[in-house]
Amino acid sequence: MANGHPTRDEDFDLLALGALEGDEKQAIEAHAASCADCARKLAEARGRVAMLSLAAPEAAPSAAVQQRLMAQIRSGSSAAEPAQQPHIARVPASAGAPGAPGTFARWWNAILIPAAAALAALTIFLWRENRALDRQLAALHASMAQQQHELHEANEVAELMTSQSTITVPLAQQSGMPKGSAHVMYNEKMGMMMYDGEITPAPAAKTYQLWLVPVTGNPISCGVFKGEPDHWMMKVPEGMPAKWFAVTLEPAGGMPHPTGPMVLMGSVS
Amino acid sequence: MASPPRTFKKGASNLVSSQMGAEVRASDAALIERITQRDEAALAALYDRYAVMLSSVLNRILRDNQASEEILQDIFFQLWRMPSRFDASRGSLPGWLLVIARNRAISRLRRHNPAAGDELGENSVVLPVNIESAVAQKQLLDRVKRALDGLPAEQRACVELAYFEGLTHSEIAARTGDPLGTVKTRLRSAVVTLKRTLHQAAS
Repeated sequence: MANGHPTRDEDFDLLALGALEGDEKQAIEAHAASCADCARKLAEARGRVAMLSLAAPEAAPSAAVQQRLMAQIRSGSSAAEPAQQPHIARVPASAGAPGAPGTFARWWNAILIPAAAALAALTIFLWRENRALDRQLAALHASMAQQQHELHEANEVAELMTSQSTITVPLAQQSGMPKGSAHVMYNEKMGMMMYDGEITPAPAAKTYQLWLVPVTGNPISCGVFKGEPDHWMMKVPEGMPAKWFAVTLEPAGGMPHPTGPMVLMGSVS
Repeated sequence: MASPPRTFKKGASNLVSSQMGAEVRASDAALIERITQRDEAALAALYDRYAVMLSSVLNRILRDNQASEEILQDIFFQLWRMPSRFDASRGSLPGWLLVIARNRAISRLRRHNPAAGDELGENSVVLPVNIESAVAQKQLLDRVKRALDGLPAEQRACVELAYFEGLTHSEIAARTGDPLGTVKTRLRSAVVTLKRTLHQAAS
């Protein structure tokens, strides 16, 4: 040291770097505190040394830090480092030490934040599971309803086919009409009928239509079809004695009353 | 003319994006002045300007993301609480923030040696260049990397142990097993070279 000044300017850099220790360090610090020229040199050395920070690999903070910061300045609390003293550039020796006030908050943060995240994840998981189970339950309900409907139909078919009161009416091809044959099972009490037959496919823009012709009253439409093998069952008014059944050729979509030629016909004996 | 102070009630990210144009142009000194008037947008602008730089050095020293983010948040919170602690006539804000960040990180790193943390923390820091813009930061980053890359490997290792781990001459010697005199020579040579290289680049 010459007149208290460091003999070499790089001493300021070494001091700023934190490499100096002991008497050497204290001597330069003490001198810089009372020498404006050396204080300026030390400030410049701190700047040069601070630039070494830029050699650190880039590590951007998460967006949550800024959000917490803005929330913190609005609340006015020092949540991140509650143990800090007011001097921003000074770090108390106890900062971060076990037992310091901030340690308790950090422990709570270390426990509560992961716990809250885990709870949120669990809530989302359970909610999604619940949604999936709801969907499965709805599908099961629909499937069960469909099965019950099919079972009911099967029971009706079985009852129609085995009932003593069911009659079978063969439908015969009429002269000059497309080739075909069919029969109808009819139960007046049940109000049920089943058609089973096969006719040459209907011409374009035409359709076949099955009619129940009651003893009294107008013919009742029992379905339209295009030909080839067909079979179906349908409900009709109960207690309506049939006189005969017939298949006519009608405009596509069918008609409210028979208008076309009779293709098949069978009388109830 | 600087933008008039305004108070924002929106979230931080909205606040930043809505004010981006005006804040990018504002100088550090102007933003500090606005912080003294409790302008949240000014703090958000300074955060945007320097958070990555500070976070990088904090992470390099601590290698602990959570601890780094705690310190980063607290540095800006203290800046909000006491903006007058920064004296623009005595140095540059980013230099001052970098010194604080490094001191805080090393203090955390060496918490079992309280004296080390208590030695650190300075107020007057002069950077040879203005790095208020992202472009200037990038240019300075390139210069620093070139300067460090130009050092012999053993000198560079000593510099990094001193700067990023806060080790003194004797602690570096103990860590590396090299003689104390060798460590001193290496560090002295390194800082002389860095000073010359960085000054040449700055000029």
